Amino acid sequence: MDLNLRALTKVAGLLLVVLGGSMMLPLIVGLLYHEPESVRAFIVVIVPCLLAGGVLILIPGRQKSRFSIRDGYLIVTVSWALASLIGAIPFVLSGAIPSYVDAVFETCSGLSTTGASILPDIESLSKSILFWRSFTHWIGGMGILILAVALLPTLGIGGQFLAKAESPGPSLSKVTPKISDTAKMFYLLYCVYTVLEVILLMFGGMNLYDALIHTFGTVGTGGFSNYNNSIAHFDSAYIDGVITIFMFLSGGSYFLYFLVFRRGVKAFIQDGEFKTYLLIVAMATLLVTLGLWGFGIYPSPLSAFRYGVFSVVSIVTTTGFANSDFVLWPTFCQMVLFLLFFVGGCSSSTAGGIKPIRLLVMGKLIKRTVGLKLHPNAVNPLKVNNRILPVEVASGIAAFTFLYILLFFIGGILVSFDNTDLMTAFSAVGSCLGNIGPGFGAVGPMSNYSLFSDGSTIVLSFLMITGRLELFTVIILFTKKFWYPYG
Amino acid sequence: MPLNFRAILHALGFIVGINGIAMIPSFICALYFHETKPAFSFCLCAVGSLLLAFLSFHFSHQPKKSLSVRDGYLIVSASWILCSLIGALPYWLSGTVPQLINAVFESVSGYTTTGATVLTEWDFPNSIILWRATTNWLGGMAILMFIISVLPLFGTGGHRVAYAEAPWPSYTRTSPRISDLSKTLFTLYIGLTVAAVLLLSFSSMGWFDALINGLGSVSTAGLLLHPGGVEYYGSFYVEMVISVFTILSSINFVLYLYLIQGNLKDIKNNVELRVFLSIILVVSLFVGLDLSNSGLYDSLSMAFRHAFFQVVSIVTTSGYIIGNPQLWPGFAKALLFCLFFIGGCSASTSGSIKVIRIVVLFKLISRGFVKRLHPHAISAIRMGKKNIPSPMVSSVVAFICLYGATYLCSAVVLSLQNLDFETTLSATAALLSNTGCGFGDVAYGNFGEFTNPLLKGFMCIVMLIGRLELFSIFFLFVPSFWNTDRINLK
Repeated sequence: MDLNLRALTKVAGLLLVVLGGSMMLPLIVGLLYHEPESVRAFIVVIVPCLLAGGVLILIPGRQKSRFSIRDGYLIVTVSWALASLIGAIPFVLSGAIPSYVDAVFETCSGLSTTGASILPDIESLSKSILFWRSFTHWIGGMGILILAVALLPTLGIGGQFLAKAESPGPSLSKVTPKISDTAKMFYLLYCVYTVLEVILLMFGGMNLYDALIHTFGTVGTGGFSNYNNSIAHFDSAYIDGVITIFMFLSGGSYFLYFLVFRRGVKAFIQDGEFKTYLLIVAMATLLVTLGLWGFGIYPSPLSAFRYGVFSVVSIVTTTGFANSDFVLWPTFCQMVLFLLFFVGGCSSSTAGGIKPIRLLVMGKLIKRTVGLKLHPNAVNPLKVNNRILPVEVASGIAAFTFLYILLFFIGGILVSFDNTDLMTAFSAVGSCLGNIGPGFGAVGPMSNYSLFSDGSTIVLSFLMITGRLELFTVIILFTKKFWYPYG
Repeated sequence: MPLNFRAILHALGFIVGINGIAMIPSFICALYFHETKPAFSFCLCAVGSLLLAFLSFHFSHQPKKSLSVRDGYLIVSASWILCSLIGALPYWLSGTVPQLINAVFESVSGYTTTGATVLTEWDFPNSIILWRATTNWLGGMAILMFIISVLPLFGTGGHRVAYAEAPWPSYTRTSPRISDLSKTLFTLYIGLTVAAVLLLSFSSMGWFDALINGLGSVSTAGLLLHPGGVEYYGSFYVEMVISVFTILSSINFVLYLYLIQGNLKDIKNNVELRVFLSIILVVSLFVGLDLSNSGLYDSLSMAFRHAFFQVVSIVTTSGYIIGNPQLWPGFAKALLFCLFFIGGCSASTSGSIKVIRIVVLFKLISRGFVKRLHPHAISAIRMGKKNIPSPMVSSVVAFICLYGATYLCSAVVLSLQNLDFETTLSATAALLSNTGCGFGDVAYGNFGEFTNPLLKGFMCIVMLIGRLELFSIFFLFVPSFWNTDRINLK
């Protein structure tokens, strides 16, 4: 069966229009703050984007009715790659980031809601460019929630395949009669969070611009700030608290919030993934706080908790904001944070990483294996949320987890060509693959990725997109079976 | 079914007895070199062990019925712990290692064929060095017995897969008997040891060094005799002999049985062996290229010589050191770091995850792609020409996940020492995989930077967990292991 290229061009057209449309916002910011160079850069990109997009959508062509899984993978990957390549152009044209490779890295980092930056001095950039940089988080977060469930069905494309391609299996079951209704709920909630956080941050003394930037970073679980030292710039316990809470919420499953909306708070308690998520955050916070206090970094337990919980939530939700430089912490606290690199937020959220549901399934698998070895005749099926998990789903989850680890190692080997120390290379890869942002060593929260060569930058950009699209969606394009499925 | 404690006592007595007998060569060595205190301590420990063995034989009896799975696991775990504790006494009693916890660490490191040390000085009495090497050798042999005779019966996924690929040859055309197998393996192991020692003694090193290095390489322990590691001898011949024998001990010992039978076809088609040898070749090539590119070594041949030795040392989980890998470029170090998580073949003396499980892992990932393209396709994971049943695959998956989880959690505990990241992560990998050398502060297999006695105790546990294929130790913490009435039958 041939690939449905007509659908591909149509989606690409739509994407261009959306991208062009969303650049209007930074354009307005540029006009407000009188930044002629950035305004020119945005106009130069917006106009061709809208024109080309319009042409691609309106171009007449025979519409094929069949739409296969392979089309889905291709479309999703191509759209993210395309968006990153085009979104990078304003950075280069405005002179903010001279190298196109670096600009692509920055945009990939934005759209994949990673928050890793190659900019040594963020504050020197113009306001409209910084706005665009953070706005890509918001679009990216929205994209990951929506692309699968809402955008493509409007093209007459069955969305379920894509939902399968982008989201881990067990959690996403149909709740509303139409999948587009679910999507609408998702982005309604996404917008509610955004508005709420902006208001709360402004109460804490931020101006509207800063509040917007940091909200985009939070609800998209991205982590771009417009200040070099991130949230530490504000040095306010209130702002730390608000951002911590919203990061935590954004790392939770939107699907679950929807269930809570319908069935009440007990849905939280019934959800195995949320319980795991909560447990991991609580345990990690406890350990880091104890470590910070015990090693005497912060004399009072309360301030140890403030910085501990912020960093834990920031890493586990794959946001990557920082209110302190955790690279300077005791190795124990750093090691706990490093473990969280492999956790990530819940499924159907804007967070990346392996996701607690997969860890939960793997944990249960280990437990079951121990039981089976001791009592070989016991019947002991794998259960999640009181439902038996089919063997195929479990083995799919195992394959995902192993591919994740494999990419982590391969990426680490490739990036270490730059001859940085092991921890810098591996944590940078873990950070990009999990869409987190900061790493350890030379890529800590107060540093940046500018030390890497172009080759490593490309590898890391690729890993960000791959991690964002749940690995298989991208990697499958590199298999022979994808292009010759019956050959 | 309750645990058969009498039978367990009987087995433990037997093992302690062997341990006691194994102290005799060290005792003779002490007499030969006129080391009074070690001689006295060895004599005491040997007599004590034999007495214990005699007592346990007196109060127990040969098991009448066959042992249960749980009995087997308990015997294995308990014997390793017991031997380590008894084996620590000569270090302590002879005054070589004044702190008891350090003595226990040395002993555990010996029996688990890790080859790590927490001691900073190098000039030990010869008899003590021989005892370290002896524990390495005993540990290597014991793990072979454990894997070949116990594991296939009770099943740890990876070895089941390896067994499915390379089953024991049957001697009598009926069923292979474990005691026959054990005898053959024992002979093989001794044969390898004698060959290694003989070949090494042809070099410029003395007979004592040859003996120690022979014991250390056949058991893939990698005991370092001199600061600076094998570089001390400065001989290509020595490096090659050590490399070859560590490789020989890291391949599936069942293949030797095939070799004896003249079954060359199955050896040639063994997937695990092929992958293992390819890993060594490919990684050595890359590391060699990177080294020659970095300008650390004058000539291309020196770069490749060092690369090959170090790659073999880590992938076989021996942990010999050549040159100073700490100065190596990032790419080479990253490759070596990955090797910590591969290890040698199953049913060998090497540790870590093992090649066969890595192969299954790759096949699982590749099936993931097929499943995503053709969700309804039925595709089994194949090894050679055989399908692997899905319970075996899920057992392998559980093992690898548990290995990863154990690794990360241990790293968190060891990070309490507040050493740098590279040291902590590589030290944990080195201990869990029984390699015994890492990067940073532990580059020469010296774990003395971990000064906290509690952490030393924890490191001993990590080594034991890694050596006994994780589950054997973890079972001890499962309630239903001790009390079958508590099986959750929901």
